[in-house]
Amino acid sequence: MSVAASGAATPLAPPRHAARRVRAGVWLPLVFLAAGLGYPLLLLIANAFNVGDAQALPPTEFGIANFAELLNHLDWIGNTLLVSISATILAMAIGIVLAWILYRTTVPGQRVFEVLIAIPYPLGPLVGALAWSALGSPQEGLLNQLYASLTGVQEPLFNIYSVPGIIFVMAIFEAPVAVLMIGAAMQHMDSALEESSTVFGAGKLRTAFRVTLPLMLPAILSAALFLFTSMMGAFAIPTMLGTNARFYVATTAIYVMFQSYPPNYPLAAAIGVVLVVITALAVWASARVLKKRTHAIIFGRNYRPRRMNMRGWTLLLLAFECAYVLVSLVLPLGVLLLASLQKSGGLSWMVSNWTLSNFHYVLIDFPTTRQAIGNSLLLGVGTGTLGVAVATTIAWMVHRSQSPGRRLLEQATMLPQAFPRLIFAFGFMWMVMSLPIHLYGTLYSVLLAYIIVFLPLAYRGMSGVVVQIDRSLEEAARISGARWGRMMRTVTLPLLRAGLLANWVLLFMISVREVSASLFLSGPGTQVLGPAIFSFWDSGGLPRVSALAVVQAVIILIALVVVRRLARAKPGR
Amino acid sequence: MATEIKLASGNAAAAARPFIEVKGLTAAYDSKIVVREVSFSVAAGEHLSLLGPSGCGKSTTLRCIAGLETPVEGEIVIDSEVVFSSHRRINVPTEKRKLSMVFQSYAIWPHMTVFENVAYGLRTQGVREDEVRSEALRALQMVGMVELAQSSATALSGGQQQRVALARSYACRPKAILLDEPLSNLDARLRSRMREEMRDLQHQFRLSTIYVTHDQEEAMAMSDRVIVMRDGRIEQEGPPLEIYDHPQSRFVADFIGAANIVSGHVRPHGAGQPVILDVEGTAIECAPRAALPRAHADGSHMLAIRAVYAELRRDAVPELANHWPATIERRILLGDLVTYAVRWPGGNLRVHGFPNDLFEEGSRVHLHVPSVRAILVDAD
Ligand SMILES: Nc1ncnc2c1ncn2[C@@H]1O[C@H](COP(=O)(O)OP(=O)(O)OP(=O)(O)O)[C@@H](O)[C@H]1O
Ligand SMILES: [Mg+2]
Repeated sequence: MSVAASGAATPLAPPRHAARRVRAGVWLPLVFLAAGLGYPLLLLIANAFNVGDAQALPPTEFGIANFAELLNHLDWIGNTLLVSISATILAMAIGIVLAWILYRTTVPGQRVFEVLIAIPYPLGPLVGALAWSALGSPQEGLLNQLYASLTGVQEPLFNIYSVPGIIFVMAIFEAPVAVLMIGAAMQHMDSALEESSTVFGAGKLRTAFRVTLPLMLPAILSAALFLFTSMMGAFAIPTMLGTNARFYVATTAIYVMFQSYPPNYPLAAAIGVVLVVITALAVWASARVLKKRTHAIIFGRNYRPRRMNMRGWTLLLLAFECAYVLVSLVLPLGVLLLASLQKSGGLSWMVSNWTLSNFHYVLIDFPTTRQAIGNSLLLGVGTGTLGVAVATTIAWMVHRSQSPGRRLLEQATMLPQAFPRLIFAFGFMWMVMSLPIHLYGTLYSVLLAYIIVFLPLAYRGMSGVVVQIDRSLEEAARISGARWGRMMRTVTLPLLRAGLLANWVLLFMISVREVSASLFLSGPGTQVLGPAIFSFWDSGGLPRVSALAVVQAVIILIALVVVRRLARAKPGR
Repeated sequence: MATEIKLASGNAAAAARPFIEVKGLTAAYDSKIVVREVSFSVAAGEHLSLLGPSGCGKSTTLRCIAGLETPVEGEIVIDSEVVFSSHRRINVPTEKRKLSMVFQSYAIWPHMTVFENVAYGLRTQGVREDEVRSEALRALQMVGMVELAQSSATALSGGQQQRVALARSYACRPKAILLDEPLSNLDARLRSRMREEMRDLQHQFRLSTIYVTHDQEEAMAMSDRVIVMRDGRIEQEGPPLEIYDHPQSRFVADFIGAANIVSGHVRPHGAGQPVILDVEGTAIECAPRAALPRAHADGSHMLAIRAVYAELRRDAVPELANHWPATIERRILLGDLVTYAVRWPGGNLRVHGFPNDLFEEGSRVHLHVPSVRAILVDAD
């Protein structure tokens, strides 16, 4: 206890300083987002109304001819909606059932399945489409061949190159997001709310519909919205499974127009604008529904949900989990591995027909893929690190500061979610081309685009982490005499650590596998894995493209394992 | 620790000198003002409670002193050092104010052991590690938690977390301790035990303490002085018994203890004569006051009569003032106390009695209110 030893107080005038720092923390990201999101959108719109020289940037003549032309291709929009809505519904159904099995029933194997069910998402639609075309193509597809050799029937069992096939593959590879988002809400829901409903005489079914479902609605809606937008912008699956059947959705049509000579940018932009309008409407509608019901109360503290013993149903539910893991993980990875070992095109089980030369080729011999792997790793690390840093800062500003702009900041951060990624990348490409600084054709442009498109996901994750840390934990450190830096080092970061790592690895994985956002931005010298696999699929032959896909999958799995280890290890003091 | 006690008693000798001074403190969230021009001081070694209903700005006041919120206006002096002054533009950051605080949620760091939690403040001060060890263990000993020193902080019960939080705040040798409803998460039995333990710690260290609570029992039991707050302002300030016996306003009388509020009209009286309040035709002689309190809008005055200070008797004592026949309407046994709903000429009154001498419902009794216990208070 020092008696007035410190003497004169430090004159600081921090009310103003602190306020300025806080304001910068809010306005900097806002400006970054406004520029990085608003400008591409503006260019997209300008291009959509461009009726003059298709190559002109910025356009000089404006009209609505492109939209009139679109009327001839309403099937593209129709197909997009058909596929997106059906796949969203299917993915939500799978996701809700899986989340419920995992978190609300006593079906065994929760820990294992929790991990296995999450993996298909980072593996990604590109790997999924590739694998399922090897499994389900009517002639060479592994499953169809198996079926033919077992039954002798010549008719293929199923054809993955079809609308149901596209919907199925899209749904199973996006379902883990639904499991994650709905599972989080299920874990936090206080079962006293359900129990009290039964106490007041409501049966199980009535309780489910009158209490459980309404309480889960916000989580269900926001998961559905997330899936719907990302499916509206889905590219790999409709291209790989739909182009053969001449089935076009908006994104594949945009790609075709982009590739045609001369490229028809204005029409592509017009399609993009229509898609953005549709997703924006969906966002607006769900926000309206959610506004009417705010259920902040459902999040109990330190609370373990009660699990239901499903008795006779247990086996069936377990079978459902296994089936999901089989179609989304085991079969796809298995067929890719098998295909990557082949000397020639077919899928042979004979070990004598196997070789490792495909791996040698993609890893060492072929500079393009070698470079793509290196670039993707760089981008993964960069997006993970910067994305988590930005998302954490924003989450901090939104949840911890009293700054007036914080709600606006949160909305702006979630805004990229309303853009299908491929469309955003399209506008973003124009932006970097029109900038005076040399950004186009560099990895920085891809990095920037990744950070923007993945920001909503990263923010969602980090704000979940930040709100769980009671602010008095930090205040207690301040009171104990710790300066800001010490408080961060000894209290905040150790508490955030698991969450930071989890979100870092999520960003790493989805950047390594991303194709929609990088398709237009990567080019010679800036090859990245997603687009490289995609162009290899066009030209490289199944064994080599499979080898590349396996390499990507291995990178993702390694990252997953390493980070799980790190997160579990006790932090050293 | 021995040196601390010496220093602290040295401070106690100069008790008249305020150790913490809050002058004209005004605080706001966004643009909503929640604390308005609050001024008070705490003497060295004094235990002060801020008492008031939920949302009246107690926590905000405390957090301003801790430096966790930045006030809009005012000045805060701790141990002769100005730590905040709006017009001199001084704002010493929290970590330099050398205070300690116990949070309502305890804020025990879940990623550290009990020992590390307690040692944290000492380590930030750069105390030598062997000294950190002995001081932290001593603080844990004080609250009876030495055996659990190495266990993880997440494995503690509410009461244990509370103790760790206390040990942590005493261990770091603070200038003063701030407590924000530290007992509100405990069950009633544990609460009363912790109350006594904290009182003991307080006597042992004589640290200046500011204690925020909305529980009047806690404030009464623990403090040298109580400040009753209402809507961001100080309503009344004084030693617990003074506030209990002489509430200044209807709000304080209502908030602290069980009081009957009776309204009536003051009869004209000469200077130096006792004030007589006319309640429905019944005259009540009131405790003398320098001046009449604020009247209600309709000109009536409010009288507070504590339920424990009204007396019930079986026999009349005609020579007493404020003495009326009454009827017991209802009797509610509360355990240590009995509450009677009593009908008397002035209306209904709640009266506390003890279970050793019970009155039957419906029985006719005599009610006596000593005139010094009939307190005229400010109307709202
Ligand atoms: N972070 C905040 N942002 C906005 N308003 C706040 C914030 N914290 C408190 N308030 C408001 O300030 C007022 C005073 O709050 P304070 O926490 O000081 O009350 P309190 O007396 O401690 O109440 P309680 O007994 O409920 O803890 C309340 O009306 C509250 O709604
Ligand atoms: Mg409070």
